[in-house]
Amino acid sequence: MTDQGIKSRPRYQPLEIDPAGRHHLLVVPSEDVPSDAVAEGFAPSAFEVWTVVRKSALPPSAITEEAAGTVRAFRSPAHLFSALEERLARETMGLRLYAVGPEDFLWDVYGVGEKAGLSPQEMRFTHSGTKARRIFCVHCRAVTEKVTTSIVTCSGCGASLFVRDHFSRRLSAFMGVQVDAEAPGDVPAAEELYA
Amino acid sequence: MTAAPTLSVRIREIEPLGASLKRFALEPAHGGELPTPAPGAHILLTLRDGGRVMKNAYSLVSPAAARDRYEIIVRRVAQSRGGSAFLHQQAREGDVIDIGYPVNLFPLQAKARKHLLIGGGIGITPLLSHLHLLKARGLKFEMHQLCAPEEAGVFEALLAPYGEAGEILVHGTGRARFDLAGILARQPLGTHVYTCGPRTLMEAVATTASALGWPAGKIHKESFGENSGGLPFKAMLARSGIEVEVGETQSLLEAVEAAGIDAPCLCRGGACGECKVSVLEGEVEHRDDFLSAEEKASQGAIMLCVSRARGARLVLDL
Repeated sequence: MTDQGIKSRPRYQPLEIDPAGRHHLLVVPSEDVPSDAVAEGFAPSAFEVWTVVRKSALPPSAITEEAAGTVRAFRSPAHLFSALEERLARETMGLRLYAVGPEDFLWDVYGVGEKAGLSPQEMRFTHSGTKARRIFCVHCRAVTEKVTTSIVTCSGCGASLFVRDHFSRRLSAFMGVQVDAEAPGDVPAAEELYA
Repeated sequence: MTAAPTLSVRIREIEPLGASLKRFALEPAHGGELPTPAPGAHILLTLRDGGRVMKNAYSLVSPAAARDRYEIIVRRVAQSRGGSAFLHQQAREGDVIDIGYPVNLFPLQAKARKHLLIGGGIGITPLLSHLHLLKARGLKFEMHQLCAPEEAGVFEALLAPYGEAGEILVHGTGRARFDLAGILARQPLGTHVYTCGPRTLMEAVATTASALGWPAGKIHKESFGENSGGLPFKAMLARSGIEVEVGETQSLLEAVEAAGIDAPCLCRGGACGECKVSVLEGEVEHRDDFLSAEEKASQGAIMLCVSRARGARLVLDL
């Protein structure tokens, strides 16, 4: 059940710089870059790093400084995303965008990058932290966050959803499909799979 | 082999644009409408001069929506291998010729946030069809056209319908005064660059863009071949069992066609890969944009339309 053999499931590599880039922006949803997610020889000083501290009182950071080696902290992921949209809108060709974090964060970053015109060749993602999934209900289109089990009750329509490996980069979510559509009420026990 | 059948068209109008440039308007010879070409597409003309058959590819410059005619612009080249000289000197309004269906190896990219067009000389032609669409859809673009000083007026007139000042610039002052790196460095994220012109210009665009961090997927080239000829050589066609002589100003593909072999081809500019043929013996001087560096090094295949022998003889699986 942990590998359903579905090809849309993204695969990730340890974080490594793309030497073809001219400027490198790394975003993480945590206070530090997770050390277990980086490739050998990773040098944080080559990146401009944006972090999320999840505190309302932010330590002072030089927001005008946009150079390799600088770190800028944000109070929440939403705060980071709005700044990222604004930043990418005035960036020039040559930028590489990197993200390290849980899967929903990575593909939210992808969505912001794609909207700004970045191609997959200009973005690199590394999974780190929780394996909890964001589930998109294919029946009512509601999104259920932080799902760790094989079966989940949809937050929108209440259906018992089977959590598939089928991943949508556009929606940044895994698909959930009603598990008892054929035999109503026949719902298997939920297993804890995505902690 | 180009599977598509040919279309019969009549030369409706021949309009001189400059000392060596003429615009040809082609209409369906038997009425009806022509197929809708995608912006950036080219057609292959089959020209017959007595017993001699010449095939030349030209980009369409007319709007994709105009199906009553196709327009091409032809430069008379000094060392013409026949096609452009024939069109300039012998083709007349009312003549009927065969063309292939339009083929597009140089499409506009739907996901681009901005389109940067860089043309050199007659390389303007596919970019003109891009401009029709970019202007019609109100998409963001910037165009730079490089040319000889005496031709700046001609190109300015061709480009005049498509832009306000600033969006389109004609550089008649030569490459040295053209700040390619500066232009590429200041483009916003999501820009795609399209270039057509002399090989040296297209290579400069590609290498400068790469050095500035542009990904390969956002750099687009339309090559119409390095048909500058070279030393004569012999090509042994193993399957047909004949040997052809390739002259100094002739391409291998033309020599093969002259010998009556119906060789596969599409763009005749080393871009599409259609004319790839296995090499059994001999060393190839690769001039195409299709084979990878590894494939070129392995010497296993040749693009008939642009590449030649490095030595005196090649043996081909044809």
